[in-house]
Amino acid sequence: MKKTIFGGLVLAIALTGAAGSASAQTALDQNQIMQSLQSAARAAPPELSAALIRNAVQEHIKNNPGMPITWTPLQLLDGLAQINVQIQFALNSDIIRPESYATIGSIADALHHPILGGYKFVVTGNTDTTGDRQANLVLSQKRADAVMAALVTTYGVDPSRLEAVGLGEENLEDTKDPTNPLNRRVQLINIGKYLPK
Amino acid sequence: MRFITIGLAAAAMAIGMAGASAQTMSYSDAGALLAQSCGKDITKYCAKVNLGDGALRDCMMSQQAKISPQCLTDYQAVVASITKRNAAQQSVAKLCKNDVVRHCQGMVAGDAHFLSCLNAASRVVTAACNQAIVDAGWR
Repeated sequence: MKKTIFGGLVLAIALTGAAGSASAQTALDQNQIMQSLQSAARAAPPELSAALIRNAVQEHIKNNPGMPITWTPLQLLDGLAQINVQIQFALNSDIIRPESYATIGSIADALHHPILGGYKFVVTGNTDTTGDRQANLVLSQKRADAVMAALVTTYGVDPSRLEAVGLGEENLEDTKDPTNPLNRRVQLINIGKYLPK
Repeated sequence: MRFITIGLAAAAMAIGMAGASAQTMSYSDAGALLAQSCGKDITKYCAKVNLGDGALRDCMMSQQAKISPQCLTDYQAVVASITKRNAAQQSVAKLCKNDVVRHCQGMVAGDAHFLSCLNAASRVVTAACNQAIVDAGWR
C-alpha cells in the first residue's frame, strides 16, 4: 500500500459515519484537514492543472494494459498536500448518500477558512478495479462532479477555486490489493495558489 | 408555495435572532443535521437526486406533503444557517477593516494573518467585527 499520511482521517470518518447527534457527526478534525492541505513542503508544481491530471490519466490507461497488478503507479499526485475522504455513493451511481453530507460539509469548512483561501483545489473521484475500466473512469468523474456541485451550490464554496477530475481506477491507494474498498475514495488536493482574476 | 414561505419565515427569524448572538452551524454540522433529520425521507422520496445544484431542494419541495415536518423545519434551519455563515464571511473584510488598521499594523496579508491578529485582539476589537468572525465560523 502506498504511504497514506491521512489514514487517520479516513478511519475517523469510518468510525463516526453512523453517529447519532448532529454535533457528534463532525466527521473530520478541522485543524487537521487545514494543516494537511496547507503544507508548503508539499506544494504542487506551478504547472499542475486539472487538464494535466486528465492527460496523465489517459496516458496511464494507454501505457498500462493488462492486469492492475502489473501497472506502474500514477505518481503525478503523490506527495502533494491532500486528504483522502470516504464518501458514500449509491451503488454504481453519483448520488451522494445522506450519511456523507457531514463529511462534505467538513471539506467545505476547511475550504471556507482564510488559511486555505489563497489556494485552488482538485476534487478527484477514485474507484477500485471492480468492473469496466472506462466505465469506472466515467463514474469517478460523475462522482467528483457531484461532490464539487454540493461544495459549490449547497455549501457556498467559490467554484473558481475548484475543479473535479475523475481518476477512475488509475490512482489506486492500495496497488497490491486493487479491489480493496480503500481505493474507492475522493481526494481533495491542493494544486497551488489561487490568483483571483 | 408553502415551502418557500416557510423558508422566508425561517430566514427572517434567523436574521432577527442575529443580534441575540444566534450561532451559525459549521457546514459539517449543517450537513449532519440534514442527514439526521431528512435522511430517511431523502432515501424514500428523493433517492435519485443529488445534494447539489438545487436538485434535492426541488425534489423535497415537490414531495413536501409526504416529508416529515421536523425535516422541513430543520432543512430551513440548515439553509438559513449556511446563508448566514456565507454572508458573515463575505462581510468580515469590510466590518473588520478599521480593526485591522488599528490593531494589526505591519502584518502581511495571507495565511490568515489578519484573522489570527483579530482573534488575539478580540477583547478590544469592535463588536461588529467580533460578531462577523463568530458567525463566519472563524473563531
